[in-house]
Amino acid sequence: MAGGLPEPLTFSEIINHAIGVHMPVHVYYMWLAMIILFTCGLMLRGRLQMVPGGLQNVFEAVIGGLEDFTVKNIGEEGRRVYPFMCTLFLFILVMNYIGLVPGCDAATANINTNAAMAMCVFLYYNYQGIKKWGFGYIKHFMGPMPALAPFMMIIETVSHLARPLSLTLRLFGNIRGEEIVLVLLFVLAPVLSTLPMYFLFILAKTIQAFIFFMLTMIYLKGSLEHAH
Amino acid sequence: MFIPSKDKSSGALELLSTAGTIGLQLVTATFIGLAMGYFLDKWLGTSPWLLIIFLILGIVAGFRDVFLEAKRIQRKDEGGTDDGDSSGQSGSGN
Repeated sequence: MAGGLPEPLTFSEIINHAIGVHMPVHVYYMWLAMIILFTCGLMLRGRLQMVPGGLQNVFEAVIGGLEDFTVKNIGEEGRRVYPFMCTLFLFILVMNYIGLVPGCDAATANINTNAAMAMCVFLYYNYQGIKKWGFGYIKHFMGPMPALAPFMMIIETVSHLARPLSLTLRLFGNIRGEEIVLVLLFVLAPVLSTLPMYFLFILAKTIQAFIFFMLTMIYLKGSLEHAH
Repeated sequence: MFIPSKDKSSGALELLSTAGTIGLQLVTATFIGLAMGYFLDKWLGTSPWLLIIFLILGIVAGFRDVFLEAKRIQRKDEGGTDDGDSSGQSGSGN
């Protein structure tokens, strides 16, 4: 897929051959991420403890930490919209990490996955804004001065429409670029050169998931707070 | 690194993320403006005026986004008055 590079063999192709269907790679790995998250969730729900240990501890630290971060930024209202953002964060994080497993590909390295998630974010923050402000939500588009309102409306519309596009392209470009770098380095010097890159990419993929989370939070904050 | 509840690592992660977000909004806003102008032209048959106008508006919108983002970083830099007044606002909003 990456230009003239040799295509690394992924598990999804083996499955495709075995059962004689042709499904896109990213669908498999998105399902894999879903299975991982569902399994973790169901496993943990069964044995919640007052004193968390092991996996529950990890999840509590991540989810609790992010919730504090959200409440610090949006205010108490943030708790209501937090589940949506946290689900997105964990989902993207798991999908990104799956790309680092040999024989797997990141589902976020395909633009369709990201576009779907970015559209969800776009619809969700506008829905929350309209739900809270009703028709007054249009004030968010009109800017501070009444005289400039029609002009600002066009500019705001353009900048709001640019948000899902930039969310999509940022995640896609970063993750796709990392996958290509890994393949290239593996062709040049197998294992030896890819191993150090793994540490860099674990950080970079975490940051990308966090960027998606943070931008969702900023957009929700913008739609929930008073128009300037 | 994973847990943004610790103040210091949270700041670093947030700063890295903010640095990663700046810039792309400018490009996408320009393209959205271009696309809006192009399709409005096709629909209304006013080629090429709306294309030019909307392209300029898109560039303006992109620059405005970058400017607002910079303002947000600066406000956060000056000691987090950001969260104080936002919680006050949402409180009075209800």
